[in-house]
Amino acid sequence: MIPALGAQYLGAQLPGVDLVPATFNYAALSPILVVLGVATVGVLVEAFVPLRSRYAAQVGLTLAGLVAAFLLLVLLAVNHQTATAGLKVLGGAVLGSVIIDGPALFLQGTILVFAILGVLTMAERLGGVGADAFTPMGSATPGSGQEALALRAGSMTSEVFPLTLFAVAGMMLFPSAGDLLTMFISLEVLSLPLYLLTGLARRRRLISQEASLKYFLLGAFSSAFFLFGTALLYGYSGSVYLPDIAAAIPQGGSELNGLLVPGVFLVAVGLLFKVGAVPFHSWIPDVYQGAPTPVTGFMAAATKLAAFGAILRVVYVGIESARWQWSPAIAVVAILTMVVGAVLSVTQTDVKRLLAYSSIAHAGFILVGVLAFDRTGVSGVMFYLVSYGLTTIAAFAIVGLVRADGAEATHLSQWAGLGRRHPWTAGTFAFLLLAFAGIPLTSGFTAKFAVFEPALRSGATGTIMVVVGLLASAVTVFVYVRIIVLMYFTDSQNDAVAVVTPSVMTTIAITFGAAMTLVLGVWPTELLQLSASASQFLR
Amino acid sequence: MSLSHYIYLATILFSIGAVTVLLRRNAIIVFMGVELMLNATNLAFVTFARVHGTLDGQVIALFVMVVAAAEVVVGLAIIMAIFRARRSASVDSANLMKL
Amino acid sequence: MTGTGEAVGFWILGTLMVVAALGLVFVRKAVHAALCMAFVMINLGVLYVMEQAEFLGIVQIFVYTGAVMMLFLFVLMLVGIDSSDSIVETIKGQRVAGYVLGLGLAVVMFLALGSITLPATKGLEAVNNPADGGGNISGVAFLVFGKYVWAFELTSALLITAAIGAMVLAHRQRLTEKLSQREWSQRRVRENTYVAGLPAPGVYARHNAVDTPALLPDGTPSELSVSRVLVSRDQVATPITFHAAEQAIEAEIEDGSAR
Repeated sequence: MIPALGAQYLGAQLPGVDLVPATFNYAALSPILVVLGVATVGVLVEAFVPLRSRYAAQVGLTLAGLVAAFLLLVLLAVNHQTATAGLKVLGGAVLGSVIIDGPALFLQGTILVFAILGVLTMAERLGGVGADAFTPMGSATPGSGQEALALRAGSMTSEVFPLTLFAVAGMMLFPSAGDLLTMFISLEVLSLPLYLLTGLARRRRLISQEASLKYFLLGAFSSAFFLFGTALLYGYSGSVYLPDIAAAIPQGGSELNGLLVPGVFLVAVGLLFKVGAVPFHSWIPDVYQGAPTPVTGFMAAATKLAAFGAILRVVYVGIESARWQWSPAIAVVAILTMVVGAVLSVTQTDVKRLLAYSSIAHAGFILVGVLAFDRTGVSGVMFYLVSYGLTTIAAFAIVGLVRADGAEATHLSQWAGLGRRHPWTAGTFAFLLLAFAGIPLTSGFTAKFAVFEPALRSGATGTIMVVVGLLASAVTVFVYVRIIVLMYFTDSQNDAVAVVTPSVMTTIAITFGAAMTLVLGVWPTELLQLSASASQFLR
Repeated sequence: MSLSHYIYLATILFSIGAVTVLLRRNAIIVFMGVELMLNATNLAFVTFARVHGTLDGQVIALFVMVVAAAEVVVGLAIIMAIFRARRSASVDSANLMKL
Repeated sequence: MTGTGEAVGFWILGTLMVVAALGLVFVRKAVHAALCMAFVMINLGVLYVMEQAEFLGIVQIFVYTGAVMMLFLFVLMLVGIDSSDSIVETIKGQRVAGYVLGLGLAVVMFLALGSITLPATKGLEAVNNPADGGGNISGVAFLVFGKYVWAFELTSALLITAAIGAMVLAHRQRLTEKLSQREWSQRRVRENTYVAGLPAPGVYARHNAVDTPALLPDGTPSELSVSRVLVSRDQVATPITFHAAEQAIEAEIEDGSAR
């Protein structure tokens, strides 16, 4: 295993009195460095490449960078497999700011795949000059002459591509951060671009900007909680490195419990906010609705994955030994999340909001797996994140294609009868919904099994959570089946709603997402084995 | 006076910041509440650094300032964009979400 | 344990800070809130210096109070200095719920933190005054460029993102040629609108009157003479008072000459 980066405490020396240079393992960091480097080049492209070739340059560069990073990561992972054979566990001497271990490699690879699919959907032009989902000029007032002028001049916000890359780099670092400071900074690195991307929708821009503001304010609020929790844990253990915190817990007397327990809970607030667990979920529906649809898909898949990765690392590397003090409260959060997400999705009338509430419910299901506290739980959670993310990106990509008068038709009533007129699109969407519901032969079923099974074995609390989870699943089945009925068995007089023909990029994204949903439902063994073999954290 | 008084002060400031975020409707004031929370956190870091006799806490506080500065830029840009949109006669002002 | 001087400083500054911070919750105007915030931040800087964090204390005053809070004030000026809070509750009972939540947070934290006994303070004398005389700044620098160098490099991504974000949302690229003064005047003549230019705002002796509309010959204020921005911010003064005062003076003069 490779601690990508670390500083060694050298015995007698007081830290801070002498410069102890950090050691970099550039090979292990290379995928992240490639993504960051390409993002910076993208900023330069923005400055120097003329407008007419900018779209092609940005999309090409972004995709090439992501693919290159993914290939590097695969190489790294293969070597890592061989290197692990003769592994000696390193002592507590090396503290890594970035830990590239099994889960980190697995999650980073998945994020890169999500990012490639996400960029493919974001780059959809539908015959226009720039990406169709994004406003031609972010600074122009919605509906103003300036905006129309910008549209006519062929300008576009191609800055979204470097911004996406920065977000991707933050997401890759978030689950591999070995100390809470790096985790906090990567949280911001992934969040700031997303706040901006949320506010750049081409249509319904006021809602988009409000969503952006709401996301920003609540995001900053929750990261302040995360930080205060970090401060308390630093006070508790004298270090922000997760292994140090883990080492301090068994030694710490009860006189410092007043720092440990609030610290853990405040850090948890920050992390649970990012995954959208109840009661920290209020941003999810508004932001998912207001953001440009491809961004919503990417955000729903990748942010959730990165944040759950970070939760896994904090829980399994840092604070597991104090779990009797905090896990009951998190179990309550998991139950609330499943119930609230499932029940509120029943009343939704907007497709994007409905998928948002469904994502809340899914966050609850995944939390059940987190609380299993063993390696099968970790691998189950990672499998769930992969399958949910692939399905989600495809689902939101389809939502972005259903249009009425050029704008997205997101109201459910507009989807009535879609199955008759566009059988392929509606059929794919119905299949993805069945996967969300967890019907057998879809990835959703395998994934639910993968998180519920370790939870069942973990004890009484786990059993209760699984029962609630099954009931919540039943409720969501009702919701999804209702949409399918609406698409296939309801007549509609509304001929204005039609599915626009996407370019090959979006088609690839949808096809890949849907195909993987099927593959992971029918032949899940390969990925299950991979996630199981990658489920050991380096402590 | 023991050093825990500093921690109490940090807690009070943090809570006041949180209350500001929860109560105020003006986006700029809400944002200032968040900044107050970050500042309170920094006070806690600096104090714990003194307790533990290492400079780590001070360095972390320095990074928090950098992060906060970047956050301020993005946040104020978003707030300005919204202000510009609202002050001009806007098209789809119906059906806005509640903030 | 700390010295008496520090204790005195702490209690004075701490009290002032809490009062100023409460201003954030209760003050109506955003500008006043910003000033309260700046006050808290300066005092925090002083506390840092008292806590043997000299470098951080100075940075706090320079960067935080000097740059960040001033940025806040700039935006406040752009948005309109009068932007005060609406006290309308969009969600019923939200105000009460906010107080309850906030107080609850404070109480819980206090109960938790009240039970702790901090370990004996090690103090920073050893690291702040090493044999080589590096002091606090060298100590911080060694950590920033040593142990925490990855975090340091990562913040560059954050700063680039912030710069792009500000550009995307606030920078307006000029899409059309800027009209010269000659072109403007030619256009006015061609279109035969406001050939002589827009009316200037009313100038009265007792008021600096960019925000006071000019009066038309019939005594009604002219909307055209004040800036649109001031109109939309509701910051236009009414000329009626000046007008009335003027009429009173005129009447007096007439009275005098008639007498």
